[in-house]
Amino acid sequence: MKAYSMTTSTTSERSTATDRAGWQRRSLLGLALGLATVPLVQPAMANPTAEGFVAEIGEQVVEILRQEDKSDDEKLAALKTLLDSHTDLDLVARLVLGRHWRTASEEERRDYVELFRQILMNTMAERMSDYEGQTFEVVGSAVLNERDTAVQTRINRLRGAPPLRVDWRLRQTGDDFAIIDVIAEGVSLVVSQRNEVGSVIERQGMSGLIETMRERSTNGEAVL
Amino acid sequence: MCRSDQRDRPPHGRPWRPSRGWGLRLGIRALALSLAILIAVPPIPAAAVGDPLEPLNRGIFEFNRIVDGLVLKPASQIYEVTVPEPGRRGVTNFLANLRSPVIFVNHLLQGEREQAGVTLGRFMINSTMGIFGLFDFATVVGVEPRRDADFGQTLGVWGVGGGAYLVLPILGPSTFRDAGGIAVDGFIFDPWPYLSDMEAQLARRGAEAVDTRYRFGPLIDDLEAGSLDFYVAARSAFLQNRAARIAKGSLERDESYESIFDDDFDDE
Repeated sequence: MKAYSMTTSTTSERSTATDRAGWQRRSLLGLALGLATVPLVQPAMANPTAEGFVAEIGEQVVEILRQEDKSDDEKLAALKTLLDSHTDLDLVARLVLGRHWRTASEEERRDYVELFRQILMNTMAERMSDYEGQTFEVVGSAVLNERDTAVQTRINRLRGAPPLRVDWRLRQTGDDFAIIDVIAEGVSLVVSQRNEVGSVIERQGMSGLIETMRERSTNGEAVL
Repeated sequence: MCRSDQRDRPPHGRPWRPSRGWGLRLGIRALALSLAILIAVPPIPAAAVGDPLEPLNRGIFEFNRIVDGLVLKPASQIYEVTVPEPGRRGVTNFLANLRSPVIFVNHLLQGEREQAGVTLGRFMINSTMGIFGLFDFATVVGVEPRRDADFGQTLGVWGVGGGAYLVLPILGPSTFRDAGGIAVDGFIFDPWPYLSDMEAQLARRGAEAVDTRYRFGPLIDDLEAGSLDFYVAARSAFLQNRAARIAKGSLERDESYESIFDDDFDDE
């Protein structure tokens, strides 16, 4: 795992790190074990434009959920449209399939991407509709490489429940950003989907995967 | 706490109450066992955590789903219908407050002095002004939100690898390291077994099971509904979340994660 600091919070993190270092020097146990490590805060460049992109989407989500005259189905549909327009679904679908993409036929690829889009948009929209009434803030960002930026956000939940951390991986093309991964409390959507898809393909092959996805997507429709 | 105080003074003497020595002996045995497990299982780097016990784990996973369907889910549904929301919130707060000592010790062991202070402060405020932890008064007066910690995580912070993925009966997704951590937290660091009788402890664990199912039920159901292979989805989510909790705010991501995004399928 490579460290990237979230710039808005570096100052406080640094002082915490200093405190921690002092504590560890005094800690006999820490010394005896010699294992405790302080994660070093690496300077990373923030990307205000990327932060703005995520903040804008967040505001639109809050706006959609706030509309009292809309039914839940209408809200979900609006969320799906919003997410669809800001996510590079074709890329995410290919990243999830990974090496199996190269061996899949044209038809399998088409079916897979279409089903993936349906399932993912349903899941993400439903997940977001759960955030109704909670507040959302952008914490910071870090440029990961020449194409990708991570934006850290925090969802402040109701009634003293610990806040949720959600990170967004964005890919920049020209002046435009697209979401290519969502990491909620450390759980990456792309990694999770890759694990699942890989396991299904291993056991049932590409045709089994498409069949399972078809079942899943129709189940999803039935629920809506 | 309030409950254990009452239990400590039974009107006509409870039949059996474990002595301090009993708890300690059990604790030492649990520590020895968990250390033996930790030594026996060679640590595997977080990125490469495998699932060599997958057939066994899938069996236990299915068993857990049956138990969940027969016991936990109905129990949590009855709980949700019969106990009004403020009552359920009180139970959640009370149980979280009882966990504070274990969390405090683990924050200290992880060198998180500041966070340990938050945990201690919350415990002191909620145990008194929050009436035995029933009310989260600490949040009302602006103390930082609670942050969990456990001994499996502490070991991870110290550099101990997770070992093989392990699905525990009833308790669910874990690893060999984290299973040992559960034993150390429950039998050694947790002060309540030393202070109260077995019945109170069983009542607490039962309440925790229902409270946890009630709070995480929708999340678990969502995960199942959105998954192609629920077992793999649960394993993946658990291992990633644990890795993030151990890496903490550093947001470190391993090379294998970064390499996923290097592939841009230029050969199309």
